[in-house]
Amino acid sequence: MPASSSLTCLIVDDQQTMRSLVRTGLQQLGFRTIYEAPDGEEGLRQMLARPIHLVISDYNMPKLDGLGLLRAIRSHPPIQKTAFIMLTGRADKELVQRAVQFGVNNYLVKPFTVGTLKEKIEAIFGVLA
Amino acid sequence: MDPLAAIRETFFQECEEQLAELESGLLAMEGGDQDPETINAVFRAVHSIKGGAGAFQLEALIRFAHVFETALDEMRSGRVPITPDVLKTMLRAADVLADLVRAAHDGSETEHPLASGLVDELKAMSGQAADEDEAEEDWGDFEFQPMAAAVDMPEAPAGPAGFVVKFKPRGDLYAKANEAALLLRELARLGQTVVELDAHEVPPLTEIDPEAAYLAWTITISGDTDEIAIREVFEWVDGDCELEITKQGPADGGFDMASLLARVQDEAPAEDEGPAVVPANAGEVDVASLIANLSPAAAPEPEPAPAIAPPTLSVVASAPAPAAPDAAPEAQAAGGPRKSEAGATIRVDLDRVDRLIDLVGELVINQAVLAQRVMEAGLARASAVAMGLDELEQLTREIQDSVMAIRAQPVKSVFQRMPRLVREVAAMTGKPVRLVTEGEGTEVDKTVIERLADPLTHMIRNAIDHGLESPEKRAAAGKPAEGVVKLAAFHRSGRIVIEVSDDGGGINRERVKGIAIEKGLVAAEATLSDEEIDNLIFMPGFSTAAEVSDISGRGVGMDVVRRSIQALGGRINIVSKPGKGSTFTMSLPLTLAVLDGMVVSAHGQTLVAPITAIVETLQPKAEDVHSLGGHARVISIRGGFVPLIDVGMALGYRRDPLEATQGVALLIEGEGGSRAALLVDAIQGQRQVVIKSLEANYRQVPGVAAATILGDGRVALILDIDTIVTVSRGDMRKAS
Repeated sequence: MPASSSLTCLIVDDQQTMRSLVRTGLQQLGFRTIYEAPDGEEGLRQMLARPIHLVISDYNMPKLDGLGLLRAIRSHPPIQKTAFIMLTGRADKELVQRAVQFGVNNYLVKPFTVGTLKEKIEAIFGVLA
Repeated sequence: MDPLAAIRETFFQECEEQLAELESGLLAMEGGDQDPETINAVFRAVHSIKGGAGAFQLEALIRFAHVFETALDEMRSGRVPITPDVLKTMLRAADVLADLVRAAHDGSETEHPLASGLVDELKAMSGQAADEDEAEEDWGDFEFQPMAAAVDMPEAPAGPAGFVVKFKPRGDLYAKANEAALLLRELARLGQTVVELDAHEVPPLTEIDPEAAYLAWTITISGDTDEIAIREVFEWVDGDCELEITKQGPADGGFDMASLLARVQDEAPAEDEGPAVVPANAGEVDVASLIANLSPAAAPEPEPAPAIAPPTLSVVASAPAPAAPDAAPEAQAAGGPRKSEAGATIRVDLDRVDRLIDLVGELVINQAVLAQRVMEAGLARASAVAMGLDELEQLTREIQDSVMAIRAQPVKSVFQRMPRLVREVAAMTGKPVRLVTEGEGTEVDKTVIERLADPLTHMIRNAIDHGLESPEKRAAAGKPAEGVVKLAAFHRSGRIVIEVSDDGGGINRERVKGIAIEKGLVAAEATLSDEEIDNLIFMPGFSTAAEVSDISGRGVGMDVVRRSIQALGGRINIVSKPGKGSTFTMSLPLTLAVLDGMVVSAHGQTLVAPITAIVETLQPKAEDVHSLGGHARVISIRGGFVPLIDVGMALGYRRDPLEATQGVALLIEGEGGSRAALLVDAIQGQRQVVIKSLEANYRQVPGVAAATILGDGRVALILDIDTIVTVSRGDMRKAS
């Protein structure tokens, strides 16, 4: 039962709005260490520089998209066990299927509630303390 | 503001950025841009707006954005061809989307009159069923792999070589007069540091022990340093703190961003997942050699499996290829200089900037006062004081320029409103038009930009409505059916110049002159040069009701445009070539905070006349001045008569007029191109003055636009030339 305050999370989305919404949700769940990146490339850079337990990433972003980021993470042993939640739009079933093949841990459909966010994170880590 | 409301505001700000991106992307595509990244950016813009709208339950916006997004997706995947007609529909949809965003922002979410029609068009285009709405699909059950709570993962996965220092002072450290901040600063000298503060032990204020230590820091140092150097920093506090130094370094064999990205990139085309992802620094890395050294991608099959087999964490699936040893150092170097993380801009309250500008204005005045005092004290030019003062002057100028630059913005913000206007006017008039913009990055004061929008809107409407001929006439004249309206901005001798030109028929001088005569603006028998006729369109009262079409609108004529440009301290003129088109040129000051002024005196008072209004200065000769009775006089200048206005009298400084030959006349051009000569006692010189609002500090005074403080500390009033001329005209009419 991990304490949410001990988990570090990286939010990757090109929209400040989305990043703020996810951040607000995570804070409500007790997360303390939250990083943000505006695209997959910057997200990857941050992951190589500091320990991250959970990545919540949008799919459609400039430079490196969410799927690319996921694949990069899974292909690099030091970070490949990082939990990954893909943020998707409503109609992206196909995308989730592909992400599953690349080892996504869960997905989160926009717009989401804090309850759903909690559910998805707990599905990965177990019940949060 | 509660956090959600703040995020909502951010959302609308971001929407504006997305809308601009959307429009410029579509316009680029219309211009033949085939870069897949362009259409991707266009799609992403609408997608993001929809995503955010969803979070705030903006239903009308979500519905429209969804249909729009689907159509764009079809276009992106090539199922809908990119034709001019399709792009036109997309552009109209972008306009509606912009309206919907603004309506949502105002909280007036109502149905847009054009929305439902466009929705049908977009749906027909992209083959969406007419009544198809976002049905809640059955997503089936994906089975996701739970993580074995990877909380105990190794700290700091492979990063650049460096150290992680955990530092937690004990109370003793502070008791011995050591200071954590100094230690952190010392560490920063060893390399690039990222410092994280852990303040969670800080108790509520009531329970705080002022002698205790509650804070801890984690410092990540990258760069060329070693553990000994770090330990040295903490030499004096050894024992008074908890200190943990761990080395973090690149994994053996070398690993870095570039090779990771290259690997992902290599797989992308094989996956058919849209346009290739190109890392920003790709150009600097020898990507080809990196890729060549990688084993072929062993990614899972792309086609969606009908039933999802329980996926394993696909660590094995995309087996990490070992990075080629020889390519690694190169790539690492390329990945070295990081992009600035926090973006290079800050948002500052405009009031603060204005306060700063005000203070710098005071500084400029103060410096001028000081300079004058030093001169009066009779100090030699080469004295140390005078030389120091010269340097001060230089610095003051530079500070002033830099501060003014803070308020400067590219004209892009007003230029980018024009494409939509052009589309709308083109649709209304049935004339195909292409808008060309140039020099969007040219910078000018924010206030100038804001006040440019209306005149520009009006001029562009005019250019299309009156300037461009109908397609038939253009064909007859051997011109392409599509008319061109050009909007250009550039800097010239310390001012910004904005040109609006069209390739239409030019001004119909016969007609313009006919209207002017009919309106009594010029005498029927007057002989006018081509230039004079062209300038008639700026005369007040030239624009007629019959002339005002729906488009050129609102009954305002070019005189209003000229007046608003003049109000900004600018000038406007027109050059027209029959059959070739017309060009309106506006020249504006870069800032409204300072003014180039002619310092003059009238009856012992020091006054400032804006230089932009002055055409020439002259010494009146007795034979040129004629009295009209009363105090009204005219002066003959090169065969024409202009009213001679005694400034001292107009402002009430004296009762009896100054003998014209005793003074100097400033020939000025005011509103509507009307001329007058201002009679003053003497000209003292020309200088830049800082404008101080009289209205804010005292009250509005007719004939006076503002005030300034001169080098000798005296206050001088800045003349409002247009008012003086208008008022004096009235007086003159009474007199005659």
